[in-house]
Amino acid sequence: MHEWSIAYSVVKTLTDNFDKKVLKVTLVLPQFSFLDLEILKEAFDELKKENKVTQDAELKIKIAEPIFKCRNCGKEFKLSDVEKQLNEVRSQYGEEYPLHLMPELFPAFLKCPYCGSHDIEAKGQEIYIESVEVEESGAVTRTS
Amino acid sequence: MEPLRELAKEKLRGKKVIAVMSAKGGVGKSVISALISLSLPSSATLIDLDIHTMGIAKLFGIENVSFEVSKEGIEPAKIKNVNLISLAGVVRDRYVILPGRNQYNVMKELIAYSNIKTDYVVFDLPPGLGDEILVLEELTDYKPIIITTPSKVSIKVVKYLIDYLYEKNKKPIMVVNMSYFTCGSEKVKPFGSYEGDVNLPIDPNIEEFIGKIQNYEGEVKKVIEKELIPLL
Repeated sequence: MHEWSIAYSVVKTLTDNFDKKVLKVTLVLPQFSFLDLEILKEAFDELKKENKVTQDAELKIKIAEPIFKCRNCGKEFKLSDVEKQLNEVRSQYGEEYPLHLMPELFPAFLKCPYCGSHDIEAKGQEIYIESVEVEESGAVTRTS
Repeated sequence: MEPLRELAKEKLRGKKVIAVMSAKGGVGKSVISALISLSLPSSATLIDLDIHTMGIAKLFGIENVSFEVSKEGIEPAKIKNVNLISLAGVVRDRYVILPGRNQYNVMKELIAYSNIKTDYVVFDLPPGLGDEILVLEELTDYKPIIITTPSKVSIKVVKYLIDYLYEKNKKPIMVVNMSYFTCGSEKVKPFGSYEGDVNLPIDPNIEEFIGKIQNYEGEVKKVIEKELIPLL
């Protein structure tokens, strides 16, 4: 159900920042949030009808594979290196597990597979709009 | 573009936002935040921005509970007129250790992804002058309530926060907690004398209400209702 909040945030961001018709929006999501993309798209398609800016917008989703870096030992690792840890969190909490609801909680739940430190950072863990295409006098303008 | 920030701003738009803050820890912010929320004339959303110790959940006795999630976001726990939002409802009774940047973003996520529908929103801030103040400033115009005790250390530390708020053209309401107790007809001030906009009494009975603060109707709440709420 959390997907509806994210869909709403995208529609809201578009209506606040554009006055021309949005044709396409590309949203980047962190992989470990494991959002249900079908629900997210369904929610977006429902919410976009509420205004002229987004009513014809197509939602494109890109999944970012995060690269983690441990600030203690300096080693880099991928999601696959901490998959077991992630699965434990999911099995403990169920469908609405903390990293699904709030991806920024990852250092509290994942630790460096080499030294065990929680002082880790990740590239590609944020939810952000990568680009927007708007209709302008018949032409299409791309905004990044 | 940051959809998260837009969503968090939207959740607070048009609402009366109150921030209970102090540069000093251990002065009673959480108890006072809870009692202010319980004393407001209509329903209030109380958001615990202390994402590490989550004292508000403990005060209301809702530890180890997972909040429901609906289409409108994380659903607050409803206790009397208070809609309570805490990270405790997401992580349950687990430690939360986070590097600085993640703290800032988790606070924003907590606001953005929660269902906030009330006219009043009360934030209980952790001690210090850090991410919590910067997050609130970016998202909303808030009314600051500064909590101190009459002790000289607390007053000196809190002065930094007052200086900062004045620089931002915000006039805080000063609440001095644990100011006095009444002995016969005399007011005794065991921790020193300092006059704030509101001076709260010491009530040792309040300890009995940790875990059920919603049932507390003692002296501290009475002064909050009578003297602090009209200032908001």
